[in-house]
Amino acid sequence: MPDLEDKPRLDREIIAMRVAKELPNGGYVNLGIGIPTLVSAYLAPGQVVFYHSESGVLNCGPLAEEGEEDINLINAGGQFLQPVPGMSYFGSADAFAMIRGGHVDVTVLGAHQVSARGDLANWMLPQRGVGNVGGAMDLAAGADDVIVAMEHTDRQDHPKIVEECTLPLTGKGCVSLIVTDLAVVRCTPDGLVLEEVAPGWTAEEVQELTAARLMISPDLQEYQL
Amino acid sequence: MPSPERIDNQRLARRAARELASGEVALLGPGMPMLVPGVVPSGPGVTFLSDSGIVGVGHQAPQTTEAQGTSPGPGGSLLSTVELAALARAGYSTAAVLQPAQVSADGGFCHWTSEATPGLLPPGPAVEMAANAGRIVFMLPHTTTDGQPNIVPQCTLPIDGTVTRGVIVTDIGVLIIEQAGLTLTEVAPGWRSDDVISLTGASVSVATGLKEMEFSLDDMRPVNKVFSSGLEAVRDMPDGSTVMIDGFAGPGGMPHYLMVALRDHGARGLTMISNTAGIARIIGFGTPPGYQAIDHSILIENGQIRKAVASYPVSPSPARPSAFELAWQRGEVEIEVVPQGTLAERLRAGGAGVAAFYTPTGAGTLLTEGKETRMIDGREYVLETALHADYCLIRGYKADTMGNVVYKGTSRNFNAVMAPAAQITVIEVDEIVGPGELDPEAIVTPGVYVDRVVQRPSDFSPYE
Repeated sequence: MPDLEDKPRLDREIIAMRVAKELPNGGYVNLGIGIPTLVSAYLAPGQVVFYHSESGVLNCGPLAEEGEEDINLINAGGQFLQPVPGMSYFGSADAFAMIRGGHVDVTVLGAHQVSARGDLANWMLPQRGVGNVGGAMDLAAGADDVIVAMEHTDRQDHPKIVEECTLPLTGKGCVSLIVTDLAVVRCTPDGLVLEEVAPGWTAEEVQELTAARLMISPDLQEYQL
Repeated sequence: MPSPERIDNQRLARRAARELASGEVALLGPGMPMLVPGVVPSGPGVTFLSDSGIVGVGHQAPQTTEAQGTSPGPGGSLLSTVELAALARAGYSTAAVLQPAQVSADGGFCHWTSEATPGLLPPGPAVEMAANAGRIVFMLPHTTTDGQPNIVPQCTLPIDGTVTRGVIVTDIGVLIIEQAGLTLTEVAPGWRSDDVISLTGASVSVATGLKEMEFSLDDMRPVNKVFSSGLEAVRDMPDGSTVMIDGFAGPGGMPHYLMVALRDHGARGLTMISNTAGIARIIGFGTPPGYQAIDHSILIENGQIRKAVASYPVSPSPARPSAFELAWQRGEVEIEVVPQGTLAERLRAGGAGVAAFYTPTGAGTLLTEGKETRMIDGREYVLETALHADYCLIRGYKADTMGNVVYKGTSRNFNAVMAPAAQITVIEVDEIVGPGELDPEAIVTPGVYVDRVVQRPSDFSPYE
C-alpha cells in the first residue's frame, strides 16, 4: 500500500484534541506520558477535569514556569508543576488505592499494540529484555475507562491495532477507546467498531492499516473535533 | 490483726510502668492503664497507643480532658482505628497494659468493661489487639470491694482472652503468669507473702527471691532517635541486607545524603527495593550543567547492589542506559519488576502485618506468571506477598527527636509507605525539632515507625 504510506495523517496535537472531548466534565483523569500529556491543553472552554498523578497529587496544575520549579511538586513524568488552589498531596499507597479502587474515571495511555479484545501492550519491547512498567498495569486494571492515544501504525508502518498482541501485555480487555492519527475505534464485547475516520481517509483504507477486523459503525463519521 | 495499707493507684501505675522499657511501644486499655503515661518521666521513654487512636509519648500523654476527649501530648500523633490495628498486627507494640476484672491461674481474664456491662460492650480494640503484643501487664485491685479475690482458680465471668506470659500488678503484690502457674514475686511494703496468698483465690507459689514492690522509674531514659551523621545511622548495616530506598523520579523525596552515607559505608550484596533503580543520574532532572544527580546509581556504580525490586528499573531511553541497566547487561545484578501500585501495596502489607493480598493489577501478564490467581466476583485477581526489609532509607521534610515525620508536597511518595515495612528505618530530614513542635494532626509517619533520624547538612548538594 505505497499510496497509503504517503497519505497525510493527523498530527499528535489533533489526536490529543480528539481525546480531550472524551474527558467527562468534573471527572478525575490520569494522563500517561507522550501524546496523553498533550491532552490537557485542549479542554473545551468551561470543561473542568481534575488530574491525578501517581507522584501523589490530585488536581495537578499546569507545568511550572522556568525558574519557578519546586522539587517537591512533580508529576509522574518527573516534570515540575505549578501549585494550584484545591491541590492535595498523598503517598504512593494512596495514589494507587485511588486507581485500583475505581476512583479515577479515565486514564489516557500510549500503546505499542491494542488487540481486537481490548488487550493493551505498552510497557516492554522484548528486544530490550527489561521494561519500565511504572503505574501502567495499575491504571489498566483500575481506571473506569482506558483511552489509548497513539499513532495508527509503528515507524515501520506495521499496524498497532492487531488481532492478538505479540508484545508483553499491560492488561487484558481493558481498553475502551482507541484514538489514532487515522481513526477513532471503540472496543466492544463484539469486537472493534470503527466510529470515525480522519479527513480524506476511507474506512477501507483504515482497515488496510489495521491487523484486526473492524466493524463499521452505522454512524461512521469524519473525525470529530 | 489489721491488714497493712494497700498501695494507691498512682504507685500501682508506677509499678506497672516499671515493666515497660525505654523505647517500648505499649498498648493501653481503658481504666487504670490510662494512669501509666502520667507517671512515666518527661523527656519521654515509652510510646503509648490508646484505643482512641492516639499515639502518645511518656509523661503527659495521652491526656484525658474534661470533655471526655483525649489529646496527644508533645511528640504524640493521631491514628485512625485502621492504622492502629495495622500497627498492632505488624507487631510494633511490644506490650499491652490492661485492667481485668478477674484473672485465673491459667492466664484467662475477663476485662473490667465486660464485667461492668455484661453482654453489652465489647472489651475494646486494646483487648483484641493484646494478642499481638509481646507481653501483657495486668493492673487490678487484688480483691473486690467486698474482699473477694480477683485472682481466681477459674474465671466466674466470661473470658475475653488468655495470656501465656504476663505480669499481674495489684495493690498488694506482683505475680507472674507462666505456663506452670502463678508465682508471687513481690509484695507491697508491710505485706507478708502469706497475707497476699490468703487474699488470692488461685494457688500461688512464692518466688525464692521475693522482694518488696519498688516504684522508682529513674532508670527510664528519654528517647532520642537523632544520629550524628548519615554514616553513623547506616554503619551497622551488614553485607547482604535488604534495604528499601525511596526515589520516585526527580530530586524530591530521595534520601541523597543517606545514599552517599551507604556508599561510604560500603555494605555489599544488597537487595534494593525502590521505585526506580536510579534514573535521575541519566535524565538529569533539574541538574545544573556539569554535575551528576546523586541517586541509586551511585550504589550500583560502587558494586554494592545484588538485586533490585523496582517498578521503573531502567532509563526511559534505551539509547541512554542507566548504571543499573549496564550492570544488568553484564549479568551483575538481578531484577524483579513490580507494577508500581503493587509495589506500594506490598510495602503497605509488609508494614501492616498482612502476609499477602489479591489485586487485579497485572493479571494475565508476564509480571504475574506463575503466581496464584483467584476469580472473585467474576474477575481475576493475583496473590501478591508483602515486602519486608532490614533497613529503610527515606526522606522527610521535618522530624522531631521522637521520629515523628512530616513530608513536603509530592516528596511523600514511597517514603511514608516504606517507613513501617523495615526493621530499622532511617530518615533524612531538612530540619529536626523538639517533641511538640510538629502538629499532631499533620504527622504522616508516627515515630513508632522510625528508628533513626538524621539531619541532612544544610550545605549538602544532591549533585556531584
